[in-house]
Amino acid sequence: MKIGTIDVKISNISIGVFVFFTLLLIVASIIAPEIRRNLIWMIPTLFLLLVIPVALNYMSRSQYKDLEPEYERRAKTVRVRLINENMIGKIVRIEGVVERVYFQFLNRPQYSVADRSGAISVKMFTSPDKDVKVNDIVEVYGQVIRRYMVTGEPVINCVIIRKFDRQPQE
Amino acid sequence: MTDNSDSIPDTRDLFREALVPLLAFGSTILGIVLWNAGILAEIQYAAVGGFLASCLLAYLAWLRPRKDIVSLTTPIYGFLFMVNQIDYTGGVVLQLLYACGLTALVVRLHKRFGTRNSDSFSGTDLAAGPLKTYVGSTSDAFTAADPLTGHSAAAAFIRFSEGDYQKAADLSHAAVCHDGTPEPIVRAFGILRQHAELLDENLPRPVAYLRFLPEDASLMAKPLPDADDPDREFETLMDNALLLLYSAAWHASEADRALLLASQEFAKKLLES
Repeated sequence: MKIGTIDVKISNISIGVFVFFTLLLIVASIIAPEIRRNLIWMIPTLFLLLVIPVALNYMSRSQYKDLEPEYERRAKTVRVRLINENMIGKIVRIEGVVERVYFQFLNRPQYSVADRSGAISVKMFTSPDKDVKVNDIVEVYGQVIRRYMVTGEPVINCVIIRKFDRQPQE
Repeated sequence: MTDNSDSIPDTRDLFREALVPLLAFGSTILGIVLWNAGILAEIQYAAVGGFLASCLLAYLAWLRPRKDIVSLTTPIYGFLFMVNQIDYTGGVVLQLLYACGLTALVVRLHKRFGTRNSDSFSGTDLAAGPLKTYVGSTSDAFTAADPLTGHSAAAAFIRFSEGDYQKAADLSHAAVCHDGTPEPIVRAFGILRQHAELLDENLPRPVAYLRFLPEDASLMAKPLPDADDPDREFETLMDNALLLLYSAAWHASEADRALLLASQEFAKKLLES
């Protein structure tokens, strides 16, 4: 679904929650007719279960879209193995192959991206422009952060993840 | 270079890890005995051992270099089991299952999350391990180097670790021009400069590149791979140059040791990769 220039995605979890409560409402109103008078506020509430995630996704996607030019301008291309604690807060660009994808169903995907030198965890706090799958060759722009903000190993807080049509340089 | 003091905390950690199932199971079993004797009014209080065990598990998880979020959050459940009223059978089953869970987590922590952090970092000295061993083995070669060379080596290493490759290349170039710098350090600066410039421009490995001399072999942290893998050799040369500069900086410039200690994780990563 496109709102303006932003491609908004709704997560499978949100759809699942919406479907679950819709079915629950239908069953409940069949079994207990006295709740039908409450449908006037229950049905709009049900739709809010879809509208709120869409709105949140639109807001985060548009924020990320605004950040993209800045990250493209400031990012320094680095090798995965050379990313370390001293780079916390730096904006970097890496190229590599996606080895694993987690939590895509939550619209908060995490990838394991590897180049010839090593692998690193890439976290994204919104959905990417295009779905990224295992074995895709990608470029990632993001900031080096600690896995748990104040502790843990360095990971990349991703702002842009783009599939390559060509092999990366390495 | 592992001395006796390094092995004592390991044994202590093993005792602490063993204490987790002992506390969790022991408290529930004691609770059953006391409840049957009519001394313990509510079986929920037998969960106090499980709660203490989960706190100990969280403490052990916190000390690890890699944090296990599951172990870190176990005290929340331990606390809930302790404060919520529950019938006898349900309480005993719940506490025993929780004790099994804590045991599985402590085994997982031991096997998958490595050794604790405090073992490896005293705050004033390098962590016991391969890096300390390497730095110690090169002390004779670098102790005589002058502090200016040591400072340049530290600055180049730290700039490189921060991803500031152009600055690292400039510092390396300036350091080479300094008179009296030992030859292996000069070669390390040269190699670092070449790599830093290539990384700064995101350029691939050139066909011809700088190498150490055969007489520098005793100062190399990592052995060179087979000649039929030039990419790997190129990477290893860079690692060796960085580690050599780290060691030179450590021995020649005491004023930079605090910064070098803060960067030792990167040096360890280079050495162990």
